[in-house]
Amino acid sequence: MNFEAIIGIEIHVEMKTKSKMFSSGKVSFGEEPNTCVRPLDMAFPGTMPIVNKQAVINAIRVSNALNMKIDHELWFDRKNYFYSDLPKGFQITQQARPIGSKGYVDIKLNDGSSKRIHIERLHMEEDTCMQHHMADCTLVDYNRAGTPLVEIVSEPEIRSGEEAAKYVDAIRSIVVFTEVSDGKMEEGSLRCDVNVSIRPCGSDKYGTKVEVKNLNSIANVQRAIDYEVSRQAKLLLKGIPVEQETRRFDEIKKETVMMRKKTDAVDYKYFTEPNIIPIRLSDKFVQDAIDTCPELASEKYERYISLGLSEDEANQMLQDLSMNRYFDECVKIDSSKAKLFWNWINGDILAYLNKNNLSINQFKVSPDNLLSLIIMLEKGELSFNQGRKVFENMVIDNASAIKIADELGLKQNSNVDEIQSLVDSVIDSFPQSVVDYKNGKDRAVGFLVGQIMKASKGKVNPQIANKLVVESLNKR
Amino acid sequence: MSNYIGKTIEELHELLVSKKVTPLELAKEVIEEIKRENTNAIETLAEKEALEFASSLNEVEEDNVFWGIPFVAKDNFATKDILTTASSDILKDYIPCFDATVIAKLKEKKAVLIAKTTLDELAMGGTGTTGHKGITYNPYDPTHTYKIGGSSCGSASIVAQGIVPFSLGSDTGDSVRKPASYAGLVGMKPSWGRISRYGLFPFAPSLDHVAYFTRTVKDAALVLNVLAGEDLSHDATSSINAVPDYLKDLEKSLNGKRIAYIKELNESIKDQPILDGMNKIKDIFVSLGASVEEVSIDLRLLAAIYPTYMIISCAEATSNNANLDGIKFGPRIGEEKTYQEVMMKARTAGFSELIKRRFVIGSYSLFKDNQEELFLRAQKIRRIVVNKVNEILSSYDAIVTPCGGIIRNPFISNDNISDKLDQGTMAIENHLAMGNFAGLPSISIPMGLDDGFPFDVNIMTKAFTESECFNIAYALESKLDLKNIYAKKVGE
Repeated sequence: MNFEAIIGIEIHVEMKTKSKMFSSGKVSFGEEPNTCVRPLDMAFPGTMPIVNKQAVINAIRVSNALNMKIDHELWFDRKNYFYSDLPKGFQITQQARPIGSKGYVDIKLNDGSSKRIHIERLHMEEDTCMQHHMADCTLVDYNRAGTPLVEIVSEPEIRSGEEAAKYVDAIRSIVVFTEVSDGKMEEGSLRCDVNVSIRPCGSDKYGTKVEVKNLNSIANVQRAIDYEVSRQAKLLLKGIPVEQETRRFDEIKKETVMMRKKTDAVDYKYFTEPNIIPIRLSDKFVQDAIDTCPELASEKYERYISLGLSEDEANQMLQDLSMNRYFDECVKIDSSKAKLFWNWINGDILAYLNKNNLSINQFKVSPDNLLSLIIMLEKGELSFNQGRKVFENMVIDNASAIKIADELGLKQNSNVDEIQSLVDSVIDSFPQSVVDYKNGKDRAVGFLVGQIMKASKGKVNPQIANKLVVESLNKR
Repeated sequence: MSNYIGKTIEELHELLVSKKVTPLELAKEVIEEIKRENTNAIETLAEKEALEFASSLNEVEEDNVFWGIPFVAKDNFATKDILTTASSDILKDYIPCFDATVIAKLKEKKAVLIAKTTLDELAMGGTGTTGHKGITYNPYDPTHTYKIGGSSCGSASIVAQGIVPFSLGSDTGDSVRKPASYAGLVGMKPSWGRISRYGLFPFAPSLDHVAYFTRTVKDAALVLNVLAGEDLSHDATSSINAVPDYLKDLEKSLNGKRIAYIKELNESIKDQPILDGMNKIKDIFVSLGASVEEVSIDLRLLAAIYPTYMIISCAEATSNNANLDGIKFGPRIGEEKTYQEVMMKARTAGFSELIKRRFVIGSYSLFKDNQEELFLRAQKIRRIVVNKVNEILSSYDAIVTPCGGIIRNPFISNDNISDKLDQGTMAIENHLAMGNFAGLPSISIPMGLDDGFPFDVNIMTKAFTESECFNIAYALESKLDLKNIYAKKVGE
């Protein structure tokens, strides 16, 4: 029997706003435990939520990038339950009226086809605190409590591990490029809960849903789903029903393991948050949030293609946000040199960074100085090897290429008249080469150019020398 | 007995400005009076803090009527470094790290906080009997037979004894305006959003109001001048409406004002002196050029106010108090093996039976299967009541009602008796919650004395027309000869 997998994904994204969703507490990672905490974050009696404007702007931007309908009225609800990581005993969320609804994202699959995944809702809410379970106690860190989140819930339209991975990657790209989040799955700033069920192909009934948590990389999303689909299929083929449960992905065993059986769903006793009066967002506020949104990866891609990069090159430049920022700064100075910038960044710059174990953020060369080097090379004022030498100096003191070349005495001679006289005298010194050339031995040209380079101590532009040698030989 | 008993804010201000008394001397006298008081009205006497603050007040501030004025606050307002228990065992050791906005504003004006006062546990009750320190008595009743009401019982008692000129309370159903009646005080609850609730421990935020007691209407206007105003960095529901000078319209003529009496409420009055009082007030209104007309609200709707209030307030309360879980707040009993045990033990030990019952009612009405039938239906009834009240106020300047139908309310063991009462009693004893449903200004002022026991009348006006409310109250007060009454004075 063939089965079809039905997969829905809930993604929680931690926003990197300055302050928390409803308090002035600082949002920051890796601080001393319990140092970024305001009274509201610990639910001190009498504290009340104040909605973070930037979080709303972020939610609008992501909703827009996901082609969602944006609610121009903000409503918040309380989700009530008791848990040791939930300071207030309720979470403020947007149950009844999510800010974003009915959107979609297009994903590109490995076989080249694309698929549209619809998104049910996007809402804002607040994170819980972090618990550290020790041998005989649990430590609670409230730094994370109240961190703004957006939760993005897909329709159950995903059909495979590959599709799921592409979907999560698409969402991650959007939240990273809109600068809403750093999107780091391994650090928990983007968290996926995946619901997987299977059914016989052709059936229109849903099977029993299993939730898989704890997926800390996109590769693991795919692995966990692939494993889960085959686990469920094996059970059904043996006639054993799939149980409704929550599982987590064990990275070492590369399989999903049971966390807990799902009994009756918790009754969260939702009701409207009485301390936040519904907030009317003006059309202008929403439009401004959208208009000032940082450029999305898909928009950048189109722009890079129009600047002459290949599809692979454009994609390559969207992999790393810091690298991408550097590239954009370069292109901003002179977009006609996009391809040359790309070559430098992916060639010498990347090699230099890797060799010295640096990140692009630590790279000293400013885009305008890099441009000066590119221009000198393009004009033939520097040979390729001279260019490298200039670059080696540039990474140390970030001076312009003209200045460095001058200091090193590295200027390449591209003066046609001067080179012509050198060509004439060298050809005169090697008459045999003229004979060889006339007899069809092309390597005579290389020999003569080599002699010219030698005579000029490498300062002559080899392309020009080459061209003039050929012209002169033809004339003789 | 202190020379400063029964003085209003204005009177104390004159004494302070003329240096007949210093803030420190005044604070000391008040502290001594509080140590002597015997109604069980005090949770925490902030003696050290009060004396320290009062002794720092050396430069007389003639233009600041609150300079050096002593006051007390209900123990559900967060006070930095001062124990704040909400009269509940679950918070018996809680010391807040910040001041409620109203506390901060009064401190800024250099009023001197002397003590934190008792309340019904977590402000959830109307009897003045359910706080963890036991019953708070009515200073008008030395026999300790009749209630002062609640939940702001301690704050009512201290002002009714004349010890301080004003006190802070909170009002979710009638928790200031009802005890004001039993204690012969002015009890003011302004519009929802007029005063920041930041630092007021929430009971039911959609109904909660900061409210307060004074003994004169003018003092009530003075207090609102200080407390009113937006506080958007702490309380998003605080209003940005401009704050007028509430003294400005106090003495305006009532000529042409239209007053509504509610027929069904007047018909439900049990005690004759209250009915007599309402008739007398009607005559006063007429003599001042106002007109009084009876309007009707279906008795079934009036009787529905109490159950509606119970459902909404208990539902919100169960959620608001979920933070008191033994993890951050509340006692750690010991021997807990799981977080569930920590929570269960703390909440079992920390809350009284009455509170637990209300939480159960609240949770029950919020369950998915019950919401439509209970919580959402209560919201609809609330809306119907609000529409009705606003409809009346679209044709009248004020709705004037008795605060209750019975002058003396004896202590009875069963607080839950209200569901056994007839519709009329249900209506007349609980209608003040209309002001909370609609968030309207509502002031109780003394209307009469029955053999030395006071009772109030209530005036309710349109949202954010506190000036109008004070104006009507002031005019009545000046004709009633009950201005600035307190237990000892009436006793003499």
